[in-house]
Amino acid sequence: MAGGSAISGLVGARVHRKEDRTILTGTGRYIDDVQERGMLHCHFLRSTVAHGRIVSIDATEAREVEGVVRVFTGADMSAITEDLSFAQPIPGLHSPSYPAIAHDIVRFVGEPVAMVVAESRYIAEDAAGLIEIDIDPLEPVMSTTAGLAEDAPEIFGDVVPGNVVHTDEQLFGDIEAAFSQADHVVEQSLDQHRWACNPMETRGGVATYETGSGQLTYEASTQTTHTLRFLLAGWVRQPIHQFRVTANNIGGGFGLKFSAYREDVAVCAAAKAIGGCVKWVEDRNEHLVAAGAAREEQLTLTAAVKADGTLLGLRVTMKLDAGAYPINPPSTVYAGLVRTTLPGPYRLPAYHFQHHIVATNKASYISLRGPWAVETLVRERLMDKIAETCGISPVEVRNRNLITLDDQPTKMITNVTLENVTAAETFQKLVELVDLDAIKREQEAARAEGRLLGFGVGTFIEPAPGTQEFWAAVGFPFGSEPCRIRIEIDGKVTAFTPQTPHGQSHETTLSQLIADELGVGFDDIRIVYGDTDATPFSMLGTGGSRAATMASGAVVYGSRELKNRVLDIASHILEASVEDLQIADGIVSVKGAPGASVPMAQIAMGCWLAPDQMPPGTNTEMEFVANYDGEGGGFSQASHACWIEVDQDTGKIAIKRFLVVEDCGKMINPAVVEGQVIGGIAMGVGGMLLEHSAYADDGQYLTATFMDYLMPSAPELPEIEIEHLEFESDKVVGSRGVGEGGTVLAPAALLNAIDDALAQVGRPRITETPITPTRMLELLGVIEKE
Amino acid sequence: MSHKEITVTVNGRKRTVSVEVRRTLADFLREDLGLTATHLGCEHGVCGACTVVVDGHTERSCTQLAVQADGREITTVEGLAGSDGTLHPVQQALRDNHSFQCGFCTPGFVMSIYGMCEEKKAGRPVPCSREEIREELSGNICRCTGYQSIVDGAEAALASTGAEAALAGTGSDNTGGQA
Repeated sequence: MAGGSAISGLVGARVHRKEDRTILTGTGRYIDDVQERGMLHCHFLRSTVAHGRIVSIDATEAREVEGVVRVFTGADMSAITEDLSFAQPIPGLHSPSYPAIAHDIVRFVGEPVAMVVAESRYIAEDAAGLIEIDIDPLEPVMSTTAGLAEDAPEIFGDVVPGNVVHTDEQLFGDIEAAFSQADHVVEQSLDQHRWACNPMETRGGVATYETGSGQLTYEASTQTTHTLRFLLAGWVRQPIHQFRVTANNIGGGFGLKFSAYREDVAVCAAAKAIGGCVKWVEDRNEHLVAAGAAREEQLTLTAAVKADGTLLGLRVTMKLDAGAYPINPPSTVYAGLVRTTLPGPYRLPAYHFQHHIVATNKASYISLRGPWAVETLVRERLMDKIAETCGISPVEVRNRNLITLDDQPTKMITNVTLENVTAAETFQKLVELVDLDAIKREQEAARAEGRLLGFGVGTFIEPAPGTQEFWAAVGFPFGSEPCRIRIEIDGKVTAFTPQTPHGQSHETTLSQLIADELGVGFDDIRIVYGDTDATPFSMLGTGGSRAATMASGAVVYGSRELKNRVLDIASHILEASVEDLQIADGIVSVKGAPGASVPMAQIAMGCWLAPDQMPPGTNTEMEFVANYDGEGGGFSQASHACWIEVDQDTGKIAIKRFLVVEDCGKMINPAVVEGQVIGGIAMGVGGMLLEHSAYADDGQYLTATFMDYLMPSAPELPEIEIEHLEFESDKVVGSRGVGEGGTVLAPAALLNAIDDALAQVGRPRITETPITPTRMLELLGVIEKE
Repeated sequence: MSHKEITVTVNGRKRTVSVEVRRTLADFLREDLGLTATHLGCEHGVCGACTVVVDGHTERSCTQLAVQADGREITTVEGLAGSDGTLHPVQQALRDNHSFQCGFCTPGFVMSIYGMCEEKKAGRPVPCSREEIREELSGNICRCTGYQSIVDGAEAALASTGAEAALAGTGSDNTGGQA
């Protein structure tokens, strides 16, 4: 199989996206575009109290509003649904189940306490304002430190003792020996703030119940139709064979839309109870308050190093603020990802990792593009501190510890085999493209003018998709990826993927692969996704940077199987051996004898309409489900360099230049790769400099509009330069995922650049994020810390 | 709820309709006229997904009422492509540059960039440098792309608009530096 995919033209080219004609003309079907006959609209009344006991709720007046069809209180909803439970057989995991609508205790500002279904959204919101609810406040827990305190209120009682959702520690190698041999012990800590996915399309769904047949259909803005279906089926008491989940255009997800949410349960249950169609689309305010946010983690790293900067051992403690309610996946997956990935592309002989996952009175901790990202952020900042301690450069400290291709295959200390990992090679290339001496000179010259510049680098590996071993170490199934491919009666091709693309361009990239493999036109291929009635099952949908390897592999193997069937039949018709045949533009012909040919359409029509008249002994099934195991999977890798200038009067940080050297293996479509890389970096930059999902000490949510939660806009972001390395593996599918890495690595290079600037003016390193202008002025010593 | 009769021209078609006075222009376009290309990303005037052109100017449709549009002419994304499906030059430039990913913010950007190109056609000053284009687009939020590909597309759209205007001899290409 050496030599990889048959690449005959489209794979590797900047092919125009199939998706663009739809989105540029506004003819897509996003969730709020759905308008069904008799469709009702709903609105959730949400708690304004962070932690409290519901004493009473009175919806009498709301129910009397003209146009209101039904009001569900928590008790009403619990009578027709099961509590949501994400419990899994994970030792020590305390995963509380909870109702779709709260009826006893509320545990965060934004928790649903009632649902109004009405003829219009306007009426539903009006009526919700008439619901009288009395909540007795309880003391809220607003940080991991508060939650772990001896006298902290237990927000789930004895279901989550001491508010500890999960704790564990793991030891790899001889950590005591490492520290006893150390010349230096280097400590680095970081308190990362909460920030959010904030897809431009919020969460939403339209549930339709057909009372005659008992069928329930839920069209949702989701990253995973199949998982949403099997989770919701139980909670809304719907037989799964009578339940279809669909998705059409999805306005971004970034990890948020991987879970099923209590609103999904309520909307489906309401449609069943009413016997009709109910639409829910949350507004931005609800989204910011209630959809959940990510990244709130505190880590302390203590490294044992030799005088030359060689890493000997590492101790890590991590606290994760899980918010109140668990979602999918269980929070142990996040801790497992951080633990397993943190050693990164460096040699590390000994490692100890301990985590505490703590329940607090906030919206749920959710997946955000590279949910393990803090491991790279803290490790790459630690490398810079080791360099400073040992008196060597940030480049040298990395070069002395990086695992190169020559060292592989080798095992990470976390028992993950590294093979074909080129983080060191991307770093080498990055260093070649950067003139470090010139940067020093520019910084000195700038300081002489009273200006302050900073420069930072970072490198990492990304489990995109990772390996069996990697996911076993994390504690999450890896799973193969199916695709059903059909050569239609006219020779055109339809492929059914469980991927649920929402910006990743899978309709384009999968079509490129099929076109090259099967010899059919790019425009003669359609990719079907987002329908549990049509697509094969996968637990994952689109997430975990799996598609580039896994979905690609499924279409490549599926295409090859169907191609073999077509060629076998054609060899009989053309009286030529299979080896002498080729397919181009949907025509099977004998190589070197273009006159001897048969259209694929003719073969397909024969197979579908008169299979018994096709050549005996041939396989006439023109549909095939391929399952791709990933051939062992693999990693992406990249190195980033970031140049900044700090305005010492305002604290504003301007990114002057940003350079990426990335290696995601064989690029299917470089324009798609670059879009993912740049978009990922933008999100990482926004998260570090602007965005903050902030709470007050009393649990009130402070950033409930886009005027408070600052999203990066075009002027805040730099022009990003990208250099591609394309490591050629001997796998059939040598493509790796690239959607999450930008968000994982960019914060590290950026914070290292800021620390570099701070060091030049004798100021201490960053210990908490975000680095807003105010925080930067504090770090510079211009203003006092609040 | 009180209603008012308004007359608006949307994508060249004149309509007289009765609307609830509190209905936003965005909801009127999306729900009453079925023109769902105009998207709602924040409903408080920040994200720009709902941008439409009203009497030649780009405006937010989420923070104005339908009744305010009485007597005015509105262009939405549905009004740009040809009836045979031919993309408007702005849409084509954005497609050629792989400008977008999930597509949700896209109609707002298309209308903002279309607005810039119309300004240029009318001989008014438009952004020249990439930095100026970034500033001009700061009223639209995209979560997917990091904007670079959108700036590429906007730059190309503005450049082709200048060329067209010069060829037709109807616009003044006084901005320069578009190539």
